[in-house]
Amino acid sequence: MSRRGPVAGALLAIALLAYPRAFRARFGAEMRADFHTARGQSLGQVLAMHVANGLAERGAAMRRWPLWPNRQPHLYEPRGRRAMFWENLRSDIGHALALAWRRPLVTALAVLALALGIGANSAIFTVVNGVLLQPLPYGSASDLVMIWSSNVREQKPVNVVSPANFLDYRTGVEDLVDMEAFASFITSAQLQADEGPEMVLTVNTGLRMFDVLQRQPVLGRAFGPGDENTVVLSHGYWQRRFGGDPGIVGRTLTLDGTPRTVLGVMPGDFVFPYATMLGPDGFTTRTGVDLWSAWIPERDPFANRSGQIVRNVHYLAVVGRLRTGVSARTLDTRLATVAAQLEQAYPASNSGWGTVVVPLHEQAVGPVRPALLLLLAGVGVVLLMSCVNVAGLALAQSVGRSRELAVRSALGAGRARLVRQLLTESVLLALAGAAVALLAVQWGVRALVALAPSTIPRLSEIHPDGTVLGVTLVVAIAAGIGIGLVPALAASRPDLRDALQDGGRGAAGASPMARRLRSTLVIGEVALAVLLSTGAVLLLRSFTSLLAVNPGFTPEGLLTMQVTLPERVTTPAARLAYYDELFERLRAVPGVLAAGGTTRLPLGSTSVSTTIDVEGRPLPDAELPEVQFRRAVDDYFSAMQTPLLQGRTFTREDGPTSPPVAVINEAMAQRLFPGDSAVGRRIRTGPNPSRSPWTTIIGVVGSVRHTGLEQAPAPEMYISHRQGPPVAPFLVVRASGDPAALVETIRAELRRFDRALALFDVKTMLDVRAASVAPRRFVLLLVSAFGLLALVLAAVGVYGVMALVVGERTREMGVRLALGAEPRAVMRMVLGQATRLAAAGVALGLFAAFVLTPLLDSQLFGVRPYDPITFGTVPLLLILVAAAAAYAPARRAMQTDPMQAIRYQ
Amino acid sequence: MDHLRVEQLLPLTPVAFEILLALADGEQHGYRIMQDVNARAGGAVALHAGTLYRALARLLEQALIEELDERPTGRDDERRRYYRLTARGRAVAIAEASRLATQLATARARRLVEVTP
Repeated sequence: MSRRGPVAGALLAIALLAYPRAFRARFGAEMRADFHTARGQSLGQVLAMHVANGLAERGAAMRRWPLWPNRQPHLYEPRGRRAMFWENLRSDIGHALALAWRRPLVTALAVLALALGIGANSAIFTVVNGVLLQPLPYGSASDLVMIWSSNVREQKPVNVVSPANFLDYRTGVEDLVDMEAFASFITSAQLQADEGPEMVLTVNTGLRMFDVLQRQPVLGRAFGPGDENTVVLSHGYWQRRFGGDPGIVGRTLTLDGTPRTVLGVMPGDFVFPYATMLGPDGFTTRTGVDLWSAWIPERDPFANRSGQIVRNVHYLAVVGRLRTGVSARTLDTRLATVAAQLEQAYPASNSGWGTVVVPLHEQAVGPVRPALLLLLAGVGVVLLMSCVNVAGLALAQSVGRSRELAVRSALGAGRARLVRQLLTESVLLALAGAAVALLAVQWGVRALVALAPSTIPRLSEIHPDGTVLGVTLVVAIAAGIGIGLVPALAASRPDLRDALQDGGRGAAGASPMARRLRSTLVIGEVALAVLLSTGAVLLLRSFTSLLAVNPGFTPEGLLTMQVTLPERVTTPAARLAYYDELFERLRAVPGVLAAGGTTRLPLGSTSVSTTIDVEGRPLPDAELPEVQFRRAVDDYFSAMQTPLLQGRTFTREDGPTSPPVAVINEAMAQRLFPGDSAVGRRIRTGPNPSRSPWTTIIGVVGSVRHTGLEQAPAPEMYISHRQGPPVAPFLVVRASGDPAALVETIRAELRRFDRALALFDVKTMLDVRAASVAPRRFVLLLVSAFGLLALVLAAVGVYGVMALVVGERTREMGVRLALGAEPRAVMRMVLGQATRLAAAGVALGLFAAFVLTPLLDSQLFGVRPYDPITFGTVPLLLILVAAAAAYAPARRAMQTDPMQAIRYQ
Repeated sequence: MDHLRVEQLLPLTPVAFEILLALADGEQHGYRIMQDVNARAGGAVALHAGTLYRALARLLEQALIEELDERPTGRDDERRRYYRLTARGRAVAIAEASRLATQLATARARRLVEVTP
């Protein structure tokens, strides 16, 4: 019954350290009392058991650390963990707010940086969400697919469908609830109104299309069986043109001279078709149609010739609705069987033609996915950089706060508690940033949509919603935790004695850990900036090389517009006379050098093709080559400045009664007559060439890039308007000066000429070209903005760290200067340190860029992902930026007054 | 505090049950509990102080025992804290005892344990 002595007591005190602090506080006294009254156990055994138990309890406590509130009462806290959690949280928040209030500038800067990063992310995500993620505005949209024809031999993997094939597909497969077609082009039609003719955009739509899409009109009804000569209006057009008049149903509109009955009005959110659904050649800058016209294959003169639905003219886009449980892949296999049967049954028209099934969602938004994901990645890097910056700021602060943290630690706050406090602070900052960002996001999204090219589908459907809010909050919290972890790691192991002895002078400087973290942050920041700048420079170089592409004509100084001849001008002869007078008037306008027209404007309209039959080369119908087909009106080639390479262009003598002639482009000459002169050769065109007259090729002109600047020119043939005058051509006017200055003069002149002539879409060719590269410009603009932002953030980061370093080393600098060091050497030392950090970041960033730029490939043009110029200049730029950012701190170091520096501390 | 039903706490760990048994006769402080448990173990050392207090912590948490607000007068020293069973603790102890009794009965029926009248 020996009471244990003071040595044993001391040993126990040490053994008890194994227990968590709180456990010791609660049970320590009892355990000490027991220790001194206990008998029978050896001292060593007791102490060993205490250590073992203590460690076990520590493990258990760690597993039960209250990161999340729960209803379990706390081990040593009778009021329970829940109370403790909220109490801690409340005190942490209070503390964080007080701290923020005391440093308004730093807080505002951090919140602003985070708001910028988070807000940019939310805005871009809103676009991605609206365009890529939300279902299309059709019923059960995930069951919808598009069905295309495909001919690998003719390099047409995805092609529009011919009417006869469409009807056979429809009857041939059982896997679809239904299938319907629409014309793969948006037609501008002339609506006869009291105020004169006006243009409406319409698309010929199969009668069951709205049923397939599972959308019903808000007013009236959709097409039904036998609804010939009827139209359904879009909500927008109904509002715009008829002021939302509910009496519109049943009224008759005269379209292109034919009366059409209005059946109904579709809902406001209904968009059909998206431009991307028009197929590979359905390139259009139109964003929506005004009305849908009923389309019946049997009644379509284009589809039904001499009582037969045509099989070798392709112009339909087909939408199908899958039966439940049937996949697009299954349908693909079934349709392939049908296509093979058709190939056997109609070898002349169908040999080589298969089918391909594309989910409608993929068809509608697939083309813009890479660009949008690229933007999302770019803006993600920006957010990462603003986080790194704020983390750097927080780290710098935590160094200044080491005393406060040490005091808290000394007063009994565990490490977990300190980490939690720091995390609370940073998450609060991030949430404040998110709140500011959310206030601005609506505005940002509107700016993005305004900036975005109209060729991005679903722009009108973009708006912030619950998903955006959720993602923003998650991003903010993640950013907050990420930011807080850095100073938490550095600061939660405060060296108590140092910090307390420092006596609150606060100039002790950072721990080695904090210093390492600080350098890491700067390196990371520079690396991210290198990554973004590399992307931006690659895109910029792509864009400039795209604009440098010669489109085959001179876009500068060219004005374009579209006209529709009045209905009274019906016969070809009358149209010819009309054109002659029209162009005479145009050419007489001062400032006009040349004027002409065409049926298909390069970079600005859809294309149309025809099959041709070359004299002396008999081929089955299905193997006839296909070329793009346009009419040249009046002085088209000289107005466009498309060079004549061989032979001659059209003259007045190539009239309606003279033998048919054609001018072809260089691509067609090379494709069909390689190594041979094309001039003088004869061809026949049309779906049944054998029934057409022979046309003689009289000249070869330079190739024109029609679909886009990045697309190689296709074989193209022109016939003269004198041998087939069009009704609604584009006009091109070559101006001696600024073409935009001519607009009003020409408009007035044409009105004087004939008030009934409909004139619309007046644009300079440069605007047309700009619109054709608008998606690229959009991506470039945003990525460049991100890149610039990244440079600024990197500069701020380098500046901040170097300023800190110089501040910490003032004393050392003073000593150096006092010992006779050259001020310049001191400055070089600081600049050298900054450059070394930047160089490490550059190396890391280059490595990341090397790995990641191939992902950019789809967005690049005329430049390789590993472009040596880009990879050479960006690192240089970043090192210069870093050196510039370090310049001010370096000067301050140089100007250190040795006496003062040494006296300090 | 009745967030867990009594059955959900079963079976108790041997140490926890021993502590509840030690407190069945009335309040005790930690050291007495330890002595009681060890005495019933027949002199062999069964319970260590660290193990005891960790188990006490869990029992407090589960509200099976509670600490007395005031010390019973004139006993021991200041550092001692007294614990007693809560109603819930008593219920759990009874449930555990009858669970063990059922098991013991089965063991007897299967002749694993000598049957004593």
